[in-house]
Formats: sequence, structure tokens, C-alpha cells
Amino acid sequence: MKDIIKINDLYKTYKNGNIEVKALRGINLTIKEGEFVAIMGQSGSGKSTLMNIIGCLDKPTSGNYELDGKTVVGLSEEMLSYTRNQKIGFVFQAFNLIPRNSALKNVELPMVYAKKPAEYRKERATKLLETVGLGERIDHLPNELSGGQKQRVAIARALANEPPIILADEPTGNLDTAASVEIMELFTKLNKEGRTVIIVTHEDDIAEFTNRIIRFRDGQIIYDGQVDHS
Amino acid sequence: MMLIIESLKLALTSIKMNKLRSFLTMLGMIIGISSVISIVSIGDTMRGVISKEYESFGKNRISIYIYNSDEGYSDVFSFEEIEKIQEAFPDDINYIGPSTGISGEIINKNQKNKCNINGLSPNYQNIQNFKIIYGRNLSENDINAGKKYVLLQNTSSSKLFGTEDGTGKIITVESNGTIEEYLVVGIYENTQSTFQKLFAGNSDTHTLYAPARAFSSEDSAFFNIDLNINDTTDKELFKSRVASLIGRMKNVEPQHVRVYAASDEMSTIDDMMSKLSLAVGAIAAISLIVGGIGIMNIMLVSVTERTREIGIRKALGARTSDILLQFLIESAIISAAGGIIGTILGAGTILLGGLLINIPVVIKPTVILTAVSFSALVGIFFGLYPAKKAASKDPIAALRYE
Repeated sequence: MKDIIKINDLYKTYKNGNIEVKALRGINLTIKEGEFVAIMGQSGSGKSTLMNIIGCLDKPTSGNYELDGKTVVGLSEEMLSYTRNQKIGFVFQAFNLIPRNSALKNVELPMVYAKKPAEYRKERATKLLETVGLGERIDHLPNELSGGQKQRVAIARALANEPPIILADEPTGNLDTAASVEIMELFTKLNKEGRTVIIVTHEDDIAEFTNRIIRFRDGQIIYDGQVDHS
Repeated sequence: MMLIIESLKLALTSIKMNKLRSFLTMLGMIIGISSVISIVSIGDTMRGVISKEYESFGKNRISIYIYNSDEGYSDVFSFEEIEKIQEAFPDDINYIGPSTGISGEIINKNQKNKCNINGLSPNYQNIQNFKIIYGRNLSENDINAGKKYVLLQNTSSSKLFGTEDGTGKIITVESNGTIEEYLVVGIYENTQSTFQKLFAGNSDTHTLYAPARAFSSEDSAFFNIDLNINDTTDKELFKSRVASLIGRMKNVEPQHVRVYAASDEMSTIDDMMSKLSLAVGAIAAISLIVGGIGIMNIMLVSVTERTREIGIRKALGARTSDILLQFLIESAIISAAGGIIGTILGAGTILLGGLLINIPVVIKPTVILTAVSFSALVGIFFGLYPAKKAASKDPIAALRYE
């Protein structure tokens, strides 16, 4: 399997007035295509910063980051937008659906920015919503859906442009246990179909669904190991 | 292109989601555009009415009199002299006659009604085309012989005789202490618009037309000559030629021969009116800027409210330019929609008003086009700052925004 994410000696330092906050201190990390990874750590450990850098929402202070064989560091704003659109499927803790758009329109959104024709968008979005089990609710607005259903819409949206990576930031943080299990089972299924899935979480039982756990503390990786499912 | 269509749809949805707010935002533009359109159209309509008024008087009509303002004397013309002027310009003049008439009272069954009788000379059809509905026009023969025949207006006929067709009736007119009788040979229809009637004033005075010679003799003298020139004649050249001819004829300096064309005054008035309506229109245009500021205000609120949405869109691959376009289109649509509603309102008011006082209103398409495109421009201009603010938001911070 090829390397989908390759991070070398990555540093990120925030300047907050006169105080320097070293969020990441020399990260080296490789994730291969088809992996199912959990990134864990306390808040302030640097896991969210890494997540933002992997998602091309933030830029590292130094070091190198290769995504799907291409160096991301130094890309223009426009190229970063394009990369987010094509390479990353985001799933957020707060769902982040657009409230005045239907489930269908929300799933279509990444395809709008990918300049896909309307008919194609509608067809694909409908199919994706069916895949996540929401075929009956494509015209519902987000506030007419339960938390678990909202997150399913968000997952369908993340799959819209068939990105090589699904990046989920605390995807079960706002869900009850039953819904959390359903969402994690959905991620497991997507991973089994060959997709690379990266999940940021601080809950051990969520991390247990994945195949590899990476633990963060004070901006450094302190643990990186396979999960034993036996 | 596709993104523009998507942005249009988006803008329409967000306008629909906030109907009241969008309407209130548009209100500034609606008021601004409708006042600009009504003011400019009122100006254009007035110009139209005034120039029509002049045209009905005759754009080729010229009035001549002699007046020396230094010494304060004037001179008069005789029929013979008027004929000489006509003979000097046979190709240019299609009507010439003394400007004459009498005022008096029509004695009718112990009642007295005020009247004006205007004197006509040969070829009077060239300056005044009567719409005869009963009887006939005055003939060349009637005019030359100075027959005591009159043309009467249909409304006057109804008042005097109780019937519109007053042909064959005798009208007795008392003027300057003498009483004369006139035979009604034709009835003409009143073709004045309501607006003209407004200016015509007291309609109790009957207006009649008779041959000039019916109440003038061969040795009568006239202060004014009324004449009409052909379309092909050079007006300015004719004016100076006729002035020098009369100067020689009457032995006065040509500059004291006053040759006055209605069209001279009309272009002055027209120029004044267009400047006036431009000035008032410009003042009204200030309200458009106020409307634009209102749009900017609401767009800034909208951008703040939708910070999270902007963050989501950016995370999903929207470029800075996509966000900019989305908000620009939204403010342009609000503004242009306000402009269109304002146009309908303004033009509607003017059309209705014109219908009520029965005058043909002038609403120039260029005015509407300018107003609507200007309103869209105002929307884009005042939407630019909020849109830039939206587009420059940091996606990470925007995603965290509550």
C-alpha cells in the first residue's frame, strides 16, 4: 500500500501576543492507504492542530507534509481550497451542516465547488444518502434530523468527491452511545471498502473501533501502535 | 459560470429565508429608485407637454412687430404692407396675416357671454387646422371678401343654442359699443387635452374664428404680423431677411423689427427643464446612496451571522473568490430587486397620474435602464466590503464560531 500521508519533522508554533505556544514539536508520521487510525490525546495535546494541518486548513511553521504523493507545504490559498475539496472528506463534532439547506443540498455542496453538473450532483448525493441509510430523508432540513442522522449526512457529504481520506474530528462527541456505535460501524464499513479513515477522539472505546492508535502529549507522539481486535 | 448560477440560487434562498429583513433592506432602494424615476419622468413629461404646446402653436410660426425700446415707439402694418411682405417671399411664407381679433359679448336671449373672435387670413389652414364636425370651413372667398361668417366650437354651440350643430344660426356680438351679426357656418371640435384646458383658464369665454377683414377695413392698422414659414426655409436667414425688408419698407432700423419665433423660446425652456430635472434627479439619487449604506449594514450583519457557514464552505473547498462572489451576488440581487420594484412603483405612479389628468406621460427606457443598473452597481459597491470581510475569514476560526 502506498503512503497517503507522510509527515516529516513537523513544527507548529502559535504566537499569542508575546507568548509562544509550541503546539507541535517535531512530528514524524506516515499513514498508508486503507488504514483506520485514531489520533488521541488530551485537549491542548496538539491533536487538533495536526488535524487542521492534515486537513489543509492550517499551515505548519516548519517541516514537510505530503498528501497523496504531493507536497502541501507552500501551496497557494487557491490550491489549498482545491486540495481540501478533492482530497479530504471532513466530518466534524458539531456536524457543521448548512442549516437552511436540505440534506441533499448539503451533500451536493463539495460537488458544487468541484464544478460538477447539477444532474450528476443530485444523482450522486441521493445515492450517497441511500448508502448511509437516509434515502427517505433527502429533503429534510438538518434541524429535522437526529444527531446520528445529521452525522450520517455529514459522512455522505465527506464522500461526495470520493476523497482518498476521511478526516473525522470527534465525530461522536455530540452523540449518545447508540448513535456513536452506529456512526463508528459506518466508518468501519467505509474503511473495509478501502477508504483511509482518520479519527480524532479522546474516548478509548471509540478508538477501539480503529486499527491503529496514535497518542499525543505536549505536541509530540508518545504512542503509535496497532489495535488488537482479537 | 456554473458557480454564478449556484450563487444566484443561494442568494435567492437566503433572501427568501429572511423575507422581512430583505424587504426592509430593499426599501431604501425602492424609495430611491422610484423617486428618481418619477422625478425624471415628470420632468420629461413636462417637456413633452410644453413642446407639444409650442408645436400646436406652430414650430414654424413667426410673429413680427416693430418696437424701438430706446425711444419707446412702435409702428403698425396695413393689409397692403402685409401683402408686400408675402410677395417678397413667395416660396417661404405659407401663411401671413395680421394678428387681430375682437373681444366682446355674445347677446343671446337676454344673456351676455364673453367672447373672443380671432381674425383669419388666407391659407389659415396652414397654421390652424380645425376639426370641422358640422358645416364647413371658411373658404378663400369668405376670407377675401370679409364675410361675417364664424366658426364656433361645439361646446360653445351647445351652451348657446342647446345643440352641437349650430350651423345656420346667427350670433349677435357687441364689441366696443357696436353690434354686429355673424352667421355660423361651421362647428369645430375642441381637441384640447385636460392639461391644455387647465392653462386655457376661464372656459366661459367663447372662442370664435372669422375672416380678419370681417371686422377690419382696408385702412386698418395692425401691431403684429402673424406668419408661418415652410419647413424647408432656413429660419434664421428668413428672420434677418424679413427684418431688413420691413426696415426698408417702414424706414426703421432692422434691429427694431422684432422677429420672434416660438421655437427660439422653446429650446431655451427645454434646456432649462432638462437641467432642472437633472438637478432634482441628482438630489433624489442621494437617497440611492443611503439605500446602499442600508444594504451594506445588513450584509455585514449577515456575514457575521453566517461566519460558521463560511467556515464550512471553505473547509469543503470553496475558494476565497467563491465566497466573495456569493455575497456580492446576494447584495446585488437585493439591490437590483429593490431597483426593479422601485421602477414599477415609480413608473406606475407616473402612468396613473398621467391617466388621471389625461396627459401623455414620457417614461424613457434609458431612465429605467440607468436606474436599475445603477441600483445593481450600488449593491455591488456597498456589498464589496462585507463580501471581502466574509471571504477573508480564517476557516478554522470560522468553524469554531458559535
